[in-house]
Amino acid sequence: MSYYFTILSPTDTPIFNIAFGTSKSGGDGIARFRFPDTAQYMNQFIIHSSLDIVEETQWTNGGMYLKHIDTYPPAAAYISAFLTPSGARFLLLHQPPQLPASNSSSLGASSLLGASGSTTRASSSSIAANPTSPQTEEAVRQFMNEIYESYVKTAMSPFYKQGMEIRSPVFRTKVTAAGKKWL
Amino acid sequence: MSATKASRIGEEIWKTRIDKVNAELVTLTYGTIVAQLCQDYDSNYQDVNKQLDKMGYNIGMRLIEDFLAKSGVGRCANFRETADMIAKVGFKIFLNVAPTVTNWSSDNNQFSLIFDENPLADFVELPDDGRAQDELWFSNILCGVLRGSLEMVQMQIEAHFVSDVLRGDDTTEMRVSLVRYIEDEMPPEEE
Amino acid sequence: MAAPRHSAMLSISNAATPQSTSSDRTQAPQQPQSPAPTQGLRVPSNRKTIYDRHLNRSRNAESSRASFAYLFAEMVTYAQRRVTGIQDLEKRLNEQGYPLGLRLLDLLFYRATSTSSSALSSSSTSSSPPNRPLRILTLLHLIHGPLWRLLFQRSADALEHSVSPDTPNEYMITDNDPLVNTYISVPREMSMLNCAAFVAGIIEGVCDGCGFEAKVSTHNQPTEMWPSRTVFLVKFGDSVMEREKVLERAGIK
Repeated sequence: MSYYFTILSPTDTPIFNIAFGTSKSGGDGIARFRFPDTAQYMNQFIIHSSLDIVEETQWTNGGMYLKHIDTYPPAAAYISAFLTPSGARFLLLHQPPQLPASNSSSLGASSLLGASGSTTRASSSSIAANPTSPQTEEAVRQFMNEIYESYVKTAMSPFYKQGMEIRSPVFRTKVTAAGKKWL
Repeated sequence: MSATKASRIGEEIWKTRIDKVNAELVTLTYGTIVAQLCQDYDSNYQDVNKQLDKMGYNIGMRLIEDFLAKSGVGRCANFRETADMIAKVGFKIFLNVAPTVTNWSSDNNQFSLIFDENPLADFVELPDDGRAQDELWFSNILCGVLRGSLEMVQMQIEAHFVSDVLRGDDTTEMRVSLVRYIEDEMPPEEE
Repeated sequence: MAAPRHSAMLSISNAATPQSTSSDRTQAPQQPQSPAPTQGLRVPSNRKTIYDRHLNRSRNAESSRASFAYLFAEMVTYAQRRVTGIQDLEKRLNEQGYPLGLRLLDLLFYRATSTSSSALSSSSTSSSPPNRPLRILTLLHLIHGPLWRLLFQRSADALEHSVSPDTPNEYMITDNDPLVNTYISVPREMSMLNCAAFVAGIIEGVCDGCGFEAKVSTHNQPTEMWPSRTVFLVKFGDSVMEREKVLERAGIK
């Protein structure tokens, strides 16, 4: 599984981004997106596309963790969301690994279908393989809660103003650690 | 008076004679002040330090009366006693912390206050602009408070921070030096 | 799938600089255009940073009321020199309170999720994480109760809805004896000043943060018993009232 995690300010400004891969089931923590050349752009595109759904859900579900809220089938990308009460959005894109069988150079429709078929077959309940299983939802929730704690610490500083980019290497380390621990 | 006795007095007054508020309200209010100054002075941290010191001085001049009234302590016999009084009674009853008094100079005119706890700086991370950690003394208001309050009891002192955990130092340390005892000068004749 | 947001797409292409957008109040000031390639801040050798400090550590810590009063008075005096007139001063105090509202909101919810006895729910047995307020009343109760308790160690004294049919968007939170007024001696030429404007700013930050655009003003309403009694008038924006109707119809609490 590859992950792209981003924090958006209440006015949709990205204030933190990070890509990483699963550390579960022997994963090495490195992201391997299906479209490596355009991954950065694609991931942000997909995440921003899900914002309308986030904003709709935001007023029907009062929880902070909104679970899996959107799927983008062309990239087999799943989006989970967490809203802070002060309006920041934590969005996690997860993309299951591509089928080894479809390891051709062309990324046509047939190989994508093959990939989505593979996710259901892949190692059962492992969160590394199944983005919508209850185990995954729970793992993502734990991950989000841990980030929230670090985010509140960042936001409590009198020098931090809402919407400011989070540049602290310590914060990044904490996110990486949370990713390793839960995802 | 011994340091231990001063600690006991501080504890006692804190418990019985002090109106309390949530410490976080103090922390957040102070943080707001410093952040505002940094904004107003366009991150000229030297000026911010000066302004904080000035604010502290104003506070100190008013606070001393309150301190004397609540503590009921009299004149200190020497500067060493003054140091304990500041650390164990003054800081205790106003900020609920008791910094360590240490690093005395051989002439007993200079000492350091080491702050294991500094409620003013809770939650604070200095701006990551490559300068704040070298130039800003976040808690500088405390230097002014000491200067202002001691001046009211005939002691001219100089106080400055020499290290701060917010800057990446291992301790937060303020250096305090006695400049002179102000003689009982006659107040200028009023007309 | 919903249509992509083009405005949002524009801003992500240069994700490194926060964009200034419509609501400049909630935005960081533009960063200096030389984003120094920093290695980040230095940290003490024991590696104690704000990230290593537990957020609940100072939860029940106390300080002296005097210290708060001294600091707050300095804040007001300093602000006074940089403004022209009381309205300006109150506006500035309000603006200083606003970011605190946002911070306190996050802190309150963090504490409610991280501890079994939730600060946000009335029943201490509830262990589920608190919900973000979706409706006006839930939001106001959050302010009247948990927020006031965090700041002043007691709830506010009253919460009322305007009785006038012309102003259904107005709500009143009353504090009989605001801490910010009690210990602050206001210079005579500023006798109309209400320092609670700072608290009004905090309330505004909480409302805005939760997505309830509002303006909050302070009004001196002394009684014989409570000479510094203050009413915080919360006026919600039209969009909030519209949404409120929709949510009401949808049965969302």
